[in-house]
Amino acid sequence: MTSLALLFTLASIGISETVYLVRKRITRDIPVCPIGDGCEVVLTSKYSKIFFIPNDILGLSSYVIISLIAAFLVIEVPPMSFWVIVIKILVGIASIVSLFFTYLQWRILRVWCFWCLMSAFTIWLMEIIILLSKSI
Amino acid sequence: MSKTSFHILRVGLAITFLWIGILIFKQPEAWAGYLQPWAAKLLPVPIEEAMKGTAILDLGIGVLLLFDYLVWLGALVATFHLVIVLAVSGITDITVRDIGILAATIALMTDSLPENFIDRIKSR
Repeated sequence: MTSLALLFTLASIGISETVYLVRKRITRDIPVCPIGDGCEVVLTSKYSKIFFIPNDILGLSSYVIISLIAAFLVIEVPPMSFWVIVIKILVGIASIVSLFFTYLQWRILRVWCFWCLMSAFTIWLMEIIILLSKSI
Repeated sequence: MSKTSFHILRVGLAITFLWIGILIFKQPEAWAGYLQPWAAKLLPVPIEEAMKGTAILDLGIGVLLLFDYLVWLGALVATFHLVIVLAVSGITDITVRDIGILAATIALMTDSLPENFIDRIKSR
């Protein structure tokens, strides 16, 4: 239960930050970059989309699905084993994608984006919780 | 309220309401136990159905706050909801914390009311 609560909380934090980024992109506004000044460079780079889909939309969709699955697992909506597999695969893929994006910021773009790093740490924390949890 | 404090409060309250909604859906009968007998008698529907309705309301409030959409409305509904919760369950060791959440929803609501709404109140 605790691990699911943590997963849900992290997914909700992820939703709030990606909603912020989506809104800023739609209004063509520059997001506030609390630490560092590379947010604009990273978020407008050619790597900000995968197959024409903006990364913020992909992130938002992932967080919404993860939070829904965490809720299903708490309420015990069947088939439970299916939800467990889906959440493990989704968080696993998201962790690898986050690793790739962090590498892009570090080695290719050579600037750091606060929001992208925060999202990456959120996902990695989810992966650690799933790996350490005995109930998921 | 500063922008950062506002958003921290908004997301924190959103997670609280969403999580409570999920927990009520998990065990509506357990949450029904918090209701005072006099309040339970007033319900026009079975108590479990009423608790599921409460869960949906909590989830709705949580979604509005989390997606930063009509935050004032979400906070306004949350404020009324918490006043009713405190009235029908009484102030116990557990519900005493709702006073803090109520204060937070009021703070969020006053800070996010639409400007034209505030102007209309001022002009009267």
